[in-house]
Amino acid sequence: MPTLRYDAEDGAPAAEAAASIRLQLAGILEHRNVALRAVSMACKLVTPGPQGRAWNNFQMQVVSAVGEAFNNIVLHGYAGRPAREQPNSIDLRIQTRRGHIRIELRDWGSEFDPTRIPPPAFDTLPESGLGLFIMQSFMEIAYRSGRPNLLTLSKRYVERSSAARKGEGAV
Amino acid sequence: MRFEIKSATGVTHLAIEGELDAVSVSELRPDLEKLVKGKPTVVEVDLSSLRMVDSSGIGALVSLYKRVRAQGGSVVIKGLRDQPLAIFRLLRLDRVMLGADTTRSPPPHKQSKSRH
Repeated sequence: MPTLRYDAEDGAPAAEAAASIRLQLAGILEHRNVALRAVSMACKLVTPGPQGRAWNNFQMQVVSAVGEAFNNIVLHGYAGRPAREQPNSIDLRIQTRRGHIRIELRDWGSEFDPTRIPPPAFDTLPESGLGLFIMQSFMEIAYRSGRPNLLTLSKRYVERSSAARKGEGAV
Repeated sequence: MRFEIKSATGVTHLAIEGELDAVSVSELRPDLEKLVKGKPTVVEVDLSSLRMVDSSGIGALVSLYKRVRAQGGSVVIKGLRDQPLAIFRLLRLDRVMLGADTTRSPPPHKQSKSRH
C-alpha cells in the first residue's frame, strides 16, 4: 500500500505556503495513477488561482512528464529484476511553493540517465524514446545515479493577471 | 480506457476513450494486432474521448499507423484535443498522422463515433 505524508507551513494561506508531499510507492505501473493524482493536486498549490489556459497547460505538462518518469523507472530501471530483490519501490517527493513545483523520484533500480539520451529521429516516426523527450520538453530535469538514483523534475509557473485569465475566454 | 473496433463499408473504425498509457495499452495491443492482420484499407481512429495519452500509447498508435501504411492502407486520426493533441504536436506527429479536422480547433463537446 502506498503511504502518504503531507506537510505545509501553519498559518500560511494556500499557495503561499511551501508544501511538501511524500509518497512511498511500489515500483509497478499500477501505482502510477496514485503518483499522478498527487502531482495533479499539488499543481493547484503553486497559485491561488489554479484555473485558466496557462494553469491547465502547466498541470498537463507536469503530470505528463512525471508519468513518463514513473514509466521509465518501472519499465527500464526495474526491468527484469526478480520480485525478491527488494525494494522495488519509488519514493516520490513533491515540493511546491508559489510559482514553482519540484518533484523528486528515488529508485533503487538500474541507473538510467534521461539527460544523456539524444532526442528521437522524428522523421522515422519512432515508436520508442518518446517519453524522455516529453519529460525534457515539459520540465527541467536533473539526474544523479546511486543508491538510490535520484531524478529531479522542476517547473516554474508564471502567474497571469485575473484580467488576462478572464480574457482567455473571450472570442 | 475503453475502446471499440467496428468495420463497415471498407472502413475500420477504432474509437479509444479515457487514458491510453503504459498500463492500459496492453489491453489494446492484441486487438490492434488482429486489426492489422485483417489488412484494412482505411482505418479511422476516433480519439475525441481520449483524455490522456503517454509515450506507450503513442507508440501503439504509431505502430498501427506504420503497419497499416506498409500494407498499402491508410490511417486517419480524428478528434484529438487537450493533452493528447499537445503530445501529438510536441512529437511532431500532427504533421504526418492527423486528419484535416484535427489540425483545426476541436469542438468542446464529445463527438459522435458513428460518422456513416
